[in-house]
Amino acid sequence: MWLSWNTLSDLVDLTNLSVEEVVERLTMSTAEIESIEPMNPHLAQVIAAKIIDIMPHPHADKLTLVDVDTGKEKVRIVCGAPNHKKGDIVALAPCGTTLKEGFTVHKTKIRGEESCGMLCSEKELGLSDDHSGIIILPPHTQLGKPLNEIFKEWYDVRIEIDNKSITHRPDLWCHEGFAREIAALFGRKLIDPVDYSIEKSFGKSDALAVVIENGDAAPRYCGLYVKNINIAPSPSWLKARITAIGMRPINNIVDITNYVMSEIGEPMHAFDRKKLRGNTIIVRMARDGEPITTLDGNTHVLSKDDIVIADAGGPIALAGVMGGGESEIDDSTQEIVLEAANFNPIHIRRTAGRYNLRTEAAIRFEKSLDPELCPRAIIRCYQLIKEIIPQAEAITSIVDAYPKKLKKISITTSFSFIRRKLGTNISNSEICNILKSLQFTITESGDTLSIEVPSFRATKDISIPDDIVEEVGRIHGYDNIEPKAPLVPCAPPEKNEKRAFERLIKDIMVKDNHLIEVSNYSFVGEAQLKKLGLSSDKELKLKNPLSMEQDRLRRSLLPNLFNNAALNQRFRDEFQIFELGRVYLKDDKQSPNLAQEKTFVAGIVYARKPSTPLYYRARQIISLLLSKLNIKNFHIIPETTSLPPYAHPGRSAIVRAMDKEIGLIGELHPATIEALDMKGHGAFFDLDVDALMAAEKLPQKFTELPRFPEVPFEVSVLAPSREYAANLCDIVRASTQLVRSCEIISIYEGAPIPLGKKSVSLKVVFGSNEKTLEPSQIDELQKTVIAALEKNGYALR
Amino acid sequence: MEEKIHAIYAAAETALSQTTKEEEIEEIRVRFLGRKGELTQILRGLGELPSEKRSFIGKLANEIKTKIEHAIQSKLDTIRASRFSRLIDEEWIDVSLDSPRSTGEYSRGHLHPISQIQYEIEDIFTSMGFTILDGPEVETDYYNFEALNIPWYHPARDMQDTFWTEDGNLLRTHTSAIQVRGMETHRPPFRVIGPGRVFRYEATDASHENTFYQVEGMMVDREISVAHLIYFMKVLLREIFKTEVTIRLRPGYFPFVEPGFELDIHCLICNGKGCSVCKQSGWVELLPCGLVHPNVLRYGNIDPDQWSGFAFGLGLNRLVMMRYGINDIRHFLSGDIRFVCQF
Repeated sequence: MWLSWNTLSDLVDLTNLSVEEVVERLTMSTAEIESIEPMNPHLAQVIAAKIIDIMPHPHADKLTLVDVDTGKEKVRIVCGAPNHKKGDIVALAPCGTTLKEGFTVHKTKIRGEESCGMLCSEKELGLSDDHSGIIILPPHTQLGKPLNEIFKEWYDVRIEIDNKSITHRPDLWCHEGFAREIAALFGRKLIDPVDYSIEKSFGKSDALAVVIENGDAAPRYCGLYVKNINIAPSPSWLKARITAIGMRPINNIVDITNYVMSEIGEPMHAFDRKKLRGNTIIVRMARDGEPITTLDGNTHVLSKDDIVIADAGGPIALAGVMGGGESEIDDSTQEIVLEAANFNPIHIRRTAGRYNLRTEAAIRFEKSLDPELCPRAIIRCYQLIKEIIPQAEAITSIVDAYPKKLKKISITTSFSFIRRKLGTNISNSEICNILKSLQFTITESGDTLSIEVPSFRATKDISIPDDIVEEVGRIHGYDNIEPKAPLVPCAPPEKNEKRAFERLIKDIMVKDNHLIEVSNYSFVGEAQLKKLGLSSDKELKLKNPLSMEQDRLRRSLLPNLFNNAALNQRFRDEFQIFELGRVYLKDDKQSPNLAQEKTFVAGIVYARKPSTPLYYRARQIISLLLSKLNIKNFHIIPETTSLPPYAHPGRSAIVRAMDKEIGLIGELHPATIEALDMKGHGAFFDLDVDALMAAEKLPQKFTELPRFPEVPFEVSVLAPSREYAANLCDIVRASTQLVRSCEIISIYEGAPIPLGKKSVSLKVVFGSNEKTLEPSQIDELQKTVIAALEKNGYALR
Repeated sequence: MEEKIHAIYAAAETALSQTTKEEEIEEIRVRFLGRKGELTQILRGLGELPSEKRSFIGKLANEIKTKIEHAIQSKLDTIRASRFSRLIDEEWIDVSLDSPRSTGEYSRGHLHPISQIQYEIEDIFTSMGFTILDGPEVETDYYNFEALNIPWYHPARDMQDTFWTEDGNLLRTHTSAIQVRGMETHRPPFRVIGPGRVFRYEATDASHENTFYQVEGMMVDREISVAHLIYFMKVLLREIFKTEVTIRLRPGYFPFVEPGFELDIHCLICNGKGCSVCKQSGWVELLPCGLVHPNVLRYGNIDPDQWSGFAFGLGLNRLVMMRYGINDIRHFLSGDIRFVCQF
């Protein structure tokens, strides 16, 4: 929203205040200011000059050579205008002046003739769109006088308010609201622009009646019947004011209603009385399916939730949003009905949203305007009409339907409450002064403070003592409050175990496993899942997605991680990344209505040309993680069948802890690699963090170091080549209690091993806690191990 | 006898000159100087010599013994030196290179910068007695709006464009939803923070994201004031930026606080002088905060006549961007490791 400094100066005494200091205080106490913009600053440089001679241009028919007198000197200008004559007083932009649209006047030669400045049209000065000729000033204008002293209204500064910072302040959607703030902040006098005495001149006709059917939807409606209207362009001052607030001047009546809205904040409307059917204006809810064509030419089919202004023939305006096309004033309009009303903000907000008509009126009404504004606005509007169209005549008095009176708000609080909340020792008298300056009515009684809230703050903004604290605080200045440490008991806070566990996992992944943490959107898309062979539709969908690629919530971290791998293969030949984040499972509800959220840690290892299968790297990462987390009894178990479609059936394994499945490790299925357009290989892991956290942990306890020597024993056996070699260790470990450890040291396939077989070499370590093993006993143990292997079909090599 | 001793010495010299191995030298030592060595025999037999010869031969034999010992040692040194120099020559590597990589060995890991700042902030607050809280990312209207004093018709809902889910819930638009859940599980007095991911239905560009991170903070106790809020904010910002930060509080409207503030800090790029980052104002809007609205306390079953509190919300992406001079918010969720690996 734009504010004009000129309009503000009509409403509050701004003498000796600079725009900058006002903006600074408003920023700190009232609202955010987006920008400060001088209007037509060039007017200060353009001066009045008299044409003393006109000569034809020797080389151009349409140009003339004009000598002008600035009062100080004579200059020659080459001019292309058709309308000037000797003796005219004109507007001269001397060399160096930057005009509207950034054009700078330079000393130059035009068709061989020197020109030292420019004679300006209204358009070039920013006064209107008129470019038919140069501007001719009144005959007795003093020469050399700068134009900002002649066109004072056009020489202005405008201030842009950030609308988002005043959504809670209906009173601030106009100049008067800001004038009140400035008056309070600087202790200045406020000027009421409304001349109530004009009401005495209103007629007594009954040619207008107003009926409000639903007082909740429309608490108030004021109308005034005015005749002898003469539609014409607005006077220059009004055009200037309208232009400064970013609107286009239309005609006197439209400009006046817009001006009153920007001045005191009440959106207004004027109907052409002759186009109304009957004398009664009805404010009612629309009927379902009822059509209306609004001023912008669009037709809307209304619902019973919309409020309309209607006459005997049907809707004539979409209440609080936009007037109707049928009753619009035009150049021939002679009689009007002025409207100033008050509507329920919820209805207006929804109607404006429904028809995408966020008009200046709607954005004000949806903030909860003060109904006391309605008659004021009518009077102010009529006052301006009389000023501009003196023959205009109000034949009725204000027809005021006000079924739902605004409730007065009184707040009882105390000085000590305000001081306590602010945490500063502000005095009673300062508190009182601040509240009075904001037009609150106050009564003191000891520490107690009774406050009556002015109507323009009472619609939703101020209702409780805490609101008063804010009023005092912001005018006092929050920067004047000294920071203070609270006096509270000092104890270590309760620990969030889940967060700590997540952090531990991330630390292990980064510091021990050397992985790179990435973070992905919570969204996935159908096409992306299809590519991975995942049946869609199990995901929780968004009602209003931003795009098809992000239209549902992830059930797994992997799809987006796969995309990360496809992206990063362009930059690196090898990398390993992980993410810890939430997945959303709509089929499992947690609290009554919410989809279950589970935390997972997943990752992918990529190599363009891996020297060993990447499965082993992924497995190493997980083994390290699980052992650092002290997970008790975890197993990594080969799996070939019940796997997601992106997993390689020959290179995948399930992670189990305490007999619960908690995750998966695997390489990418060749089809997935192809679908993702990956140039190398990838292995992934995916672990349920909640399950990891719930899993039983190994107690950290010291184990006695072996007191008796351990005896190693190596043995090689033949096994079918697709046999899981880890099974052999299980057999060895189960064969005798004296096996301390068993590991596979090598696997060999190829001659002289027969086809379909492999040689597996195991290193077994025997040891006893009670004694040193005798050679005969060792011999016995070796035989036991070999026998166990042979019994299971693994022949000694 | 004398010749014999000289002959032994000559033999020892010859033997040493013909060998190149450390093991052979030991054999030579044993042969001449060992317990049954040739020279040892002579020294042992000295007693049998006539006394006039004994001292002369004895002296000579000892001299020769020393000479042989020296010869052996020097030969040993030579052999060793040449063995080491050969080894060193063989073991030459190109030390101008970094460690060569083989599969299974990867360069260092990296924590995402958002995680880093989040942990930093968690540590600052836990050290000041705050508990870390959590909440769901898919939230109900109640926790995200209603209990925060934002009823269904409130225009503030327009300020936070919301993603709605098919089951009638929403993606939380702010971590303030955690406040309400915190009040349900914690009785005052308490101090809590709630870090997490939030969502806005918003087209993305260099300064807008549909997914980003916040930390919500809340303290409820007897007589909490604006002065206390300012104190905590100053401490927080000093710890984050590792320097004293100039701040200012302006009025700001958020339905769940009253009074509500926008906290600005002096632009760290230009030190408040005005630059393109702060749009020449010298100030950067950093975090919204305020005293908890009594209605919000009531929703949390806390009596506002007995208790009061402050709350704030801090955008983490913004903080990281300011700290490292990142100019595009979309980097955070790009999955591009060239970004993450810079931190």
